[in-house]
Amino acid sequence: MPDLPQKKVGLIACSGEDHPLGTLSRVAVRLVLERLRPNDTVTLCLPLFLAGEQGERAFARFYPTIAVDACGVGCAARATARYSGPVVRAINLEQLLAGLGIEVKASWKHDLDEEGLAVAWEVAEIIARQVDRILGKEGREVSPEEPAAVGEVATCSCGSGIPVLRLNVDGRTWELLAVPAIFSLFREQGRAPSRQVASELLAQTRLYNAISPQEEGELLDILEVAYRDFWEGRLKV
Amino acid sequence: MTERVLIIPCSGIGKVLGSVSREAAFRVLEELRPGETETLCLARLTLGDPDAQEEVRAHPVITVDGCTKGCARVNVEQAGGRPAASFCAAETFRRHRELRPTSVLDLGPGGKALAGRLAEEIAVQVDRLLHAPEDRDA
Repeated sequence: MPDLPQKKVGLIACSGEDHPLGTLSRVAVRLVLERLRPNDTVTLCLPLFLAGEQGERAFARFYPTIAVDACGVGCAARATARYSGPVVRAINLEQLLAGLGIEVKASWKHDLDEEGLAVAWEVAEIIARQVDRILGKEGREVSPEEPAAVGEVATCSCGSGIPVLRLNVDGRTWELLAVPAIFSLFREQGRAPSRQVASELLAQTRLYNAISPQEEGELLDILEVAYRDFWEGRLKV
Repeated sequence: MTERVLIIPCSGIGKVLGSVSREAAFRVLEELRPGETETLCLARLTLGDPDAQEEVRAHPVITVDGCTKGCARVNVEQAGGRPAASFCAAETFRRHRELRPTSVLDLGPGGKALAGRLAEEIAVQVDRLLHAPEDRDA
């Protein structure tokens, strides 16, 4: 398999600066990233979908993503869907806390008091259970965990780059996740371009991209040409 | 003077300097220049919310970013706004290496002091935008 980021669950916080639950969304998400599920979650700053690059926009197509919004406007869920990919879960904190009978304090907009922090932990536990469900790890204890390795805590995905190959062919733009890493791996293995190698490239590409049966023939041709160009130094990835 | 300055900080949770930028923005909004400044959720700009876009086009805007990615500035610009000033917490930290923040969740004394320095710089800029310099000290 190519050397790609480990499959984790993506968490996108709304982080609304002008909403009493913006800070709570940030703190709750951060508690999951740092304390509850440090080995299974990754984040990206929502505004990076506009300010960032292709690898950052590929975030929700690579990581199954939970959006944690403060209110019903749903900026995190909607912006993620618009610029990256649909989220697998969308949490609306206003609705969630109303359901739990928790009253929101205006002062939480800037800072969480002891009560606000307790609510953030409660929300973090709910998010952690959703993470477990997505990863098929239900039933785990929801308590602080140690990160698997030093430096692996609370991974921010910005700049880490999910590799994306963007190709314009006959007026259509193909955005193919993971293909640069797959090409590099094949070259390292000395796999010279051929139709057979192109079929194997397609099989690997299919693992990281949704490709319809109707597109497979065209994509096979595209990968064969692109990999030949890469092999011969005409295509940089 | 009824004009207000919009202070739009980074909303990132991945890096500690994002938290510093927000803390600085809240200090200006709540302590240093209340009544003269407002904020709006950066995420609304990312989403392309028309009301948020109108606000950044209609008011002087100061963006306060955590890192050089400049999400706040870029999102304001993409919404059609032109920031009157742009700050970056990473730049402030470069000038005050002794003020080291602890973590994203808890800035600690160093991080809070760093946010304080940045807040003072932002407040000076607010005054420049709203008042003649002699009207008030930061």
